[in-house]
Amino acid sequence: MSEAQTKTSVFTQNPNSSNEVVLEAKNIVKRFPGVVALDHVSFNVRKGEILALLGENGAGKSTLVKILYGVYVPDEGEIAVEGRRVFITSPLEAIKLGISMVSQVPQIIGSLTVAENIILGLSKYGMISKISRVKEFIREESKRTGIEVDPDIEVWKLSYTQKQLVELLRSVILGAKVIMLDEAITFLPIQEKRRFYEFLRRFVGQGGSAILITHKIPEALEAADRITVLRRGKVVGTVDAKKTTLDQVRKMMFGERSSEITYERLPPSKPTEEVVVDVEDLWVLGAHGEYAVKGVTLEVRAGEVYGIAGVAGNGQLELIQSVIGLRKPVKGSVRVKLNSKPIDVSKVGIGKIRSIGVGYIPDEPLKFGVSMENNIEENLAMLPSITNGIIRWGRIKKLAESLIKDFDIKTPSSKTKVKLLSGGNLMKVLVSRELMVSKKLLVAYNPTRALDEVTAIMVRKRIKEKALNEKLAVLMASEDLDEVLQVSDKIAVMNSGKIVRVFNAQEAKREEIEKLMVM
Amino acid sequence: MKLIVTRRVKPLRYGGVVIPLLSLIIGVVISQLILWAVGVPPELFYGTMAGSFIAPEMLRPFVLLTILGAALLVAFIGAVWNIGAEGQIIWGMIVAAYIGVFVAAHSIKVPLSELPKYESMPGAQVLDATYGVVSVVLWNPVLAGLVMILAAAAVGAVWAAISGALRAYLEIDEVASTLIMNYIAYYSLNQLATGPMRGLSVQAAQFGRTDALNDALRFPRLPIPGTTVTTVEVILAVIAFVGVWFMLKYTSFGLRLKILGSNPNALKAAGVDTRKYITLALTLSGLIAGTVGAALFAGDYFFLGKIDNIVSPPTQNMGYTAILVAWLAMLDIRAIPISAYIIAGLMQSGATLQANLGTMAGLSGMISGAAITYTLIGFVLLTFSVLRVLTEYRIRFVRGGPK
Repeated sequence: MSEAQTKTSVFTQNPNSSNEVVLEAKNIVKRFPGVVALDHVSFNVRKGEILALLGENGAGKSTLVKILYGVYVPDEGEIAVEGRRVFITSPLEAIKLGISMVSQVPQIIGSLTVAENIILGLSKYGMISKISRVKEFIREESKRTGIEVDPDIEVWKLSYTQKQLVELLRSVILGAKVIMLDEAITFLPIQEKRRFYEFLRRFVGQGGSAILITHKIPEALEAADRITVLRRGKVVGTVDAKKTTLDQVRKMMFGERSSEITYERLPPSKPTEEVVVDVEDLWVLGAHGEYAVKGVTLEVRAGEVYGIAGVAGNGQLELIQSVIGLRKPVKGSVRVKLNSKPIDVSKVGIGKIRSIGVGYIPDEPLKFGVSMENNIEENLAMLPSITNGIIRWGRIKKLAESLIKDFDIKTPSSKTKVKLLSGGNLMKVLVSRELMVSKKLLVAYNPTRALDEVTAIMVRKRIKEKALNEKLAVLMASEDLDEVLQVSDKIAVMNSGKIVRVFNAQEAKREEIEKLMVM
Repeated sequence: MKLIVTRRVKPLRYGGVVIPLLSLIIGVVISQLILWAVGVPPELFYGTMAGSFIAPEMLRPFVLLTILGAALLVAFIGAVWNIGAEGQIIWGMIVAAYIGVFVAAHSIKVPLSELPKYESMPGAQVLDATYGVVSVVLWNPVLAGLVMILAAAAVGAVWAAISGALRAYLEIDEVASTLIMNYIAYYSLNQLATGPMRGLSVQAAQFGRTDALNDALRFPRLPIPGTTVTTVEVILAVIAFVGVWFMLKYTSFGLRLKILGSNPNALKAAGVDTRKYITLALTLSGLIAGTVGAALFAGDYFFLGKIDNIVSPPTQNMGYTAILVAWLAMLDIRAIPISAYIIAGLMQSGATLQANLGTMAGLSGMISGAAITYTLIGFVLLTFSVLRVLTEYRIRFVRGGPK
């Protein structure tokens, strides 16, 4: 590949959007022990279009994408690229065929600079390019998208958004014909999401194609040309995004369960006077030694859901982590009162309060929430508040089975390793477990991330019910404003490490909160 | 037709048994071919091999390697690398020797004229007739044996806990610290045996060692001809095996130890103090390894002697060999006895083969027993690693290639 081509790659191709199919999957079947993940799935992507692959948790989206990217090989069926049958047995082969993937977790090396990461990708696939050309390309694209990325900065210093842009740019430089985004931009704030949509629009306008894998219908409607809906491993249908409606897609996705979806505010709970969490003038350092939380004071009462709204990276994560006792504050205190005596979490750490019944739904559930190599039962038994000493597996099995039934967790059995579950079902294991162990307090960060609408709403209702009936205190931070609005009794807006304002839920106005989030 | 190689979603069925057995067969065949090339006749090789795996002599290494395999597994399963079983065994020996020779019995010097009196006295044993050194038992032998084992366990645990705490609280790599501490243990033994613990008898004075353990306190051997294994060692092996199995399967400690190995972050978020668990994993590992020290002292050596050659300590390097046992068992406690049996059999084969070559004219001293043993173990483990990786993949043929 010449330097000139490397620089702009796909962007210089003829912008001839057509009906020409660039990637096609025919009758794909994939079975895992105990489940049929994909049952004769067929779909195609045309040149110059953005296709959304939409489905609820465990519908088979990720499995399908992994097959197209060569991580799994299908048991039956065929894949064709530009009409030619291909066998994709590794990501390397996928990239050679022009199929690239950007996943939810950035796959770039933290200690290298942005430009070095991209060059590294190129040399791995036998392409050579001058580093100055690559840097120029990054600067240009950075300017166009409005997402600032300095090619000479080490990747670990980048935000999530910036990292995802780097991944996309790498795909483009590698000469991708089809870029698959596996929930890669689902969790970004809406303004930044739109920048990525524009980027993709330009990419497909110049002859590329994109597959947007998501469980968020509005995302599919806004960004895609066509939407293919998967449900329980089968294709329900493909619709034109411009000619369909939210309701229609919801029905395709959830069937009769779509009627359960509502974004109305849940009935308010009735807090008591008892203060369960008392945070006073808290100062916490972030990952890179800067202050992430700057003097936060808050109180959560028994029976109250205290929601923290904010754009990701404004200190919510560090606040939540120090309330639960995983991060030591520099200054200030966190007191949790479970019985009569308050416990100073900033001094004793997480162990004490977790063992006497504080639930915790962490950010990055795969890393902090569950142990992937262990099965569902073991993931329950690992908690000190569930077992201590001898494990009675009979009791644990019953617990696991009741959670599986209660939360409709799709799994062959309670002895299935959680790494074999889909992302959403895995999250259900975590959420159901933590709700079960929450006696007096639940601390959560993005509690319904990776859950589809129906399940997310079910979880929010459960949280609210526990607050109402069992006087559970809930401290929750979420990047999803809809969620905060729906479930909270009190809404605090966090920006640059500070709580800028606290609303009572009845008085909270969406526009006002959004303004405070980004000011 | 096209050949497609894919990764297995589920591990191979019965892989835990089939892979080690296949490795054993292939590894032995490769070793045979190599030894054949240097002049070892095939019929002698296979004859010795077959005999070695049923020889009563291999019973003892099998039992000890089972204990040590279980000990190391406790640490390895939590991704804590205990390379220090050697040092833990050595300290077990030192402490057992102290109790056996100085506390539960003691040596006294008597006038030569009084020696006949002691010869007939129950619980007394003449250690040295020329100097007049007599060992007198002070404790009940069962109590003495129990205390030796418990003290050895305790000191092994403490020795390992030092590395554990260094790793957990100061993030000092335990591979390096446990390994280095083996040498500290070896030289500590030398210092003690030639210094404060040196005995009264003529041999003790001459060679720098402790007095011998009184016959009454020695662990009784299993009544099987040809073996030197003691009843105590068999009991220890059963306790270690069943105990570790039970702990891993039925206790929250065992479960959390496993999760410590695969996802310590999740454990932290669950409210478990991972630093405590890292320390405990090494402590427990050292505790089990320490008991082997008592077994070696009171069941095999009966005295503590200066280690002249640091590469051949009285542990017979079993603390290192046990790493191979734990690894060959794929960190599955149920497979520990099987892999201990395989490694013990291979060790025995090497030793016997050397002896047999010695009796054949012109072949004596051609190749050492240790060299044969490690050729065998090396090729078995090499095959094992290759097979383990290969069985993670599956090969399929798909009709109709690219057009």
